[in-house]
Amino acid sequence: MIRVLSTNITSPLGLTTEENYRAIRGGATALRTCEGQWNLPETFCAGLFTEEQKASLAMQGYTFFEAICIRSAREALSHTHIDVASPKAILILSTTKGNVEMLGTKLYYPSEAAQRIAHELGMTTKPIVVQNACVSGLSAQLLAERLLSGGFYDCAIVVGAEVQCKFIVAGFQSLKAVSSQPCRPFDMERDGLNPGEAAATIIFEKPQTSPLLKERESMVNAQCSMGKGWYLITGASRNDAYHNVSPSPKGDGLLSAINATMEGWVVSRLATVSVHGTATLFGDQMESVAIERAGLSDIPLSALKGYYGHTMGAAGVLEAIITMCATDDGIVIAPKGFAEAGVSGRICMNATETRTEGDAFLKLLSGFGGCNVAALYSKKPLPGPSQESIVHSYESIVRKVRGQWSMVNSQRQVVRISSESGQTPADIYRNETGQGYPKFYKMDILTRVAFVAAELLMKQTGTASLPETCAVILFGHSSSVVSDRHFLSTISSADGFFPSPSVFIYTLPNITVGEISIRHHLHGETTFYVLPDKDEALMRQIITASMVNGRWSMAIGGWVDAEDETDFECELSIYNITK
Amino acid sequence: MEQLINDLKVKIKEALNLEELAPQDFDADAPLFGEEGIGLDSIDVLELIVLLEREYGIRLSNPKEGKAIFKTVRTIAEYIKENEKK
Repeated sequence: MIRVLSTNITSPLGLTTEENYRAIRGGATALRTCEGQWNLPETFCAGLFTEEQKASLAMQGYTFFEAICIRSAREALSHTHIDVASPKAILILSTTKGNVEMLGTKLYYPSEAAQRIAHELGMTTKPIVVQNACVSGLSAQLLAERLLSGGFYDCAIVVGAEVQCKFIVAGFQSLKAVSSQPCRPFDMERDGLNPGEAAATIIFEKPQTSPLLKERESMVNAQCSMGKGWYLITGASRNDAYHNVSPSPKGDGLLSAINATMEGWVVSRLATVSVHGTATLFGDQMESVAIERAGLSDIPLSALKGYYGHTMGAAGVLEAIITMCATDDGIVIAPKGFAEAGVSGRICMNATETRTEGDAFLKLLSGFGGCNVAALYSKKPLPGPSQESIVHSYESIVRKVRGQWSMVNSQRQVVRISSESGQTPADIYRNETGQGYPKFYKMDILTRVAFVAAELLMKQTGTASLPETCAVILFGHSSSVVSDRHFLSTISSADGFFPSPSVFIYTLPNITVGEISIRHHLHGETTFYVLPDKDEALMRQIITASMVNGRWSMAIGGWVDAEDETDFECELSIYNITK
Repeated sequence: MEQLINDLKVKIKEALNLEELAPQDFDADAPLFGEEGIGLDSIDVLELIVLLEREYGIRLSNPKEGKAIFKTVRTIAEYIKENEKK
């Protein structure tokens, strides 16, 4: 459990949380029709900053993405007395595509952006980037909860941000997921999402201990205002292990995430469930089924995509903040775009603003790669799960010696593969893993590398199968740069504009963890983090903190990176927890 | 028609990365989807839509039409014959 110290939303609807909240209470929307935008052949509807807003938000020496992150974090910080330079303060950045427009330069790399933002804010610790597709914003907050509760840091600045561009919109259009009309979450007439852009910040602190506060703020009877004083109680992340793009029809992963989050919690305390509600046909349908199966059919739903569009990396942060504000006022904001339910799961959604009671809410997100996250927020503090567990990593070290993989030390089992061996992942797949998984050839290089390493890890450790709660936690530096270059070539080739849907999917690096989950039927947590470098201590810290608070006992974890088809590296271990 | 079917098999194999399947391995009349087929999924349908546009100049704006068109290699070939831009 961690406490909200301050928030900010920087969006086309305003530059502070208060401005945003007032705007949407007044019925404003950022959505507008974009015709001929970025020379895209198809018209779409999106929530974008205007050119005037962009000019006023721009910062010299920074990309627009970095500028809105800095402005959002700085405005949130201005309401606190945090010593950001402390070694106990950390920046966690949530984004799906970050500076993808800078592809081909050093600025492309997400950890580069995070470091530049952290430096500008005056922070001194290494920032962590969460690239977990559409659930990134909640994954980032869960990471903050774990790192703070685990005692690794005292304060976390969680920034979620997305800036739209031709690359992202063309990709979602190739998946036939974008609507040319304002989106209609859960509605009978819904026909797709609207891309949106924003930056949103929540500054969290660990309750009871706040040495970073130069002046102690009163914790007792703290007045809730614009999110301040709320608690992130707990949350859970679960994978469908069904398909990388299509959600489980029964909502299995989301249901499991909700159940793990709500364990021991009284449903009647919930003022609302803040849904993902992107307005895609299958996404909303799946979410409604999971909500009914979780026994939440009578809790009023909040759906905010009709105001901002799908702000992707920002969504989990932005929508949590707005829901805090609305719950403080005892209301559920009218779900703009919704008129008549068009989902099979029984839900409680009203087209107009309604009153609600309760001092807590549940926030849900689901995304490509089969990931689903639920997070529980409350105005009253409650203790989180105990942290008595000890993490053991029985790492394995296996070296490639003259074409044969051999165990070097049975107590420390790590599988390491790299391009230095001269073998491609396809060579390893053909020669050493038994094959029989044709989908392997559809994967990009990053996923192939992680996939064969996981196969070898299973083989070398003599693991026939993994428990279905096993998590898959991967780290990398280069994100999905190879697939990003490939996808860019499909939309900027001299031969024409033919965005490839199957390439676009792999521009989300967390597809790697999704593929491993599907292969081994793993329904546990799946997350992809981007770090500035292969910092083993930091990786261990994140996995340890996640295992302590993540309610799972085993994980496949490690480093995977592919800079191009011939320059890759992967090092995986099985992490275990013992009590 | 047979030439078009053979060309299509090669192009489909390449576009969908069906590495472990030789073009001659899939029957022109065998279903491409479902358990009896070669295991294509919803993303493959979208990729086939791109293939039709890129290779044959045929634009399929409604993916729902794809269900009938992409039933077998032969049904795709027939659709191309009917709609190919001269």
